[in-house]
Amino acid sequence: MIDRYDWDGGQEAMLRFGPDTGPVMVAALPLLEEANRTRSFVVGLLRALASRGIASVLPDIPGQGESLLPTGTLTILRMAEALQAVTDRFHAEGRRTYALGVRSGALLDYCALHDGRWHLSPVDGHQVLRDLHRTWLAGHDRPPHARDLTAMMVGDDDPAEIAGNLLTSDFLSSLSAATPFDQPGSPRRVVRLASDPRPADRTIDAAPLWRRSEPGDDPVLAAVLADDIADWLRVCEG
Amino acid sequence: MIPEGRSTVESTVRAVLRDVLGLSQERVDAFTESTPLFGALPELDSMAVAGVLTEIEDRLAILIEDDEVDGEMMETFGALVRFAAGKALV
Repeated sequence: MIDRYDWDGGQEAMLRFGPDTGPVMVAALPLLEEANRTRSFVVGLLRALASRGIASVLPDIPGQGESLLPTGTLTILRMAEALQAVTDRFHAEGRRTYALGVRSGALLDYCALHDGRWHLSPVDGHQVLRDLHRTWLAGHDRPPHARDLTAMMVGDDDPAEIAGNLLTSDFLSSLSAATPFDQPGSPRRVVRLASDPRPADRTIDAAPLWRRSEPGDDPVLAAVLADDIADWLRVCEG
Repeated sequence: MIPEGRSTVESTVRAVLRDVLGLSQERVDAFTESTPLFGALPELDSMAVAGVLTEIEDRLAILIEDDEVDGEMMETFGALVRFAAGKALV
């Protein structure tokens, strides 16, 4: 079902899945291009959760994807505030919320008062910037003195054009300091792919859909992750 | 260079090309030292190069500086494996 949510910067669309009662997983797609590559997969994952009796939402993030606000004009904080408005709404209904962050989507759940966070292959903002920088360099020939990360972030071009997106220096600077929320006492589970050597609570053998130039899907992985989330949620809910 | 390590790097690079470019396992299994990559694989455009390099960095826990990236290192499968091995096996 398609719903909408209000936040202090306007209104955005939100897909809703599963029952109207009980805890809600608030999903966040990765930023920018990786969102296109993972959207079908994440929708499949949320449908798989619904078939396990778990409610979830996939809110459009302001300034990303289908949002009418121009891409890359907001900061990470503003996007996190928008997602906080989503969770506040469920809290007002007496429902607990849990974050479901994919890749850089894990950078956007730190304002919301979630009961726990489940992150798939989370990355920090600096890694996103490195990716963007490499893409920025691949897009144009640049003189040797204007090729480093600083030149991209606060150079003559503001906003900087990166793979067809116009990204402001405010947005890029906010990324540089962003890290996934991980505080003692707040439940967090990290699942990564087996090819990723970074620390994780569980690793799964699958290909990284977010790297594919053409959007793909992996229903088998979605089912495995839905089971993982369902088990974790059961433990969190006691 | 440790042969075992070199073979791990080679299989990692093969898997990265399969996963990032969406190539079949059979196709990447057939890659040899002299299989041409950049300019020969239509899937490997300049944007895909960025994804390939970043994924190799992540999987081998190495850092590739942008001034090290040139056409030569991507010219053949063997050249890319040699470059990655030079970074990973020190």
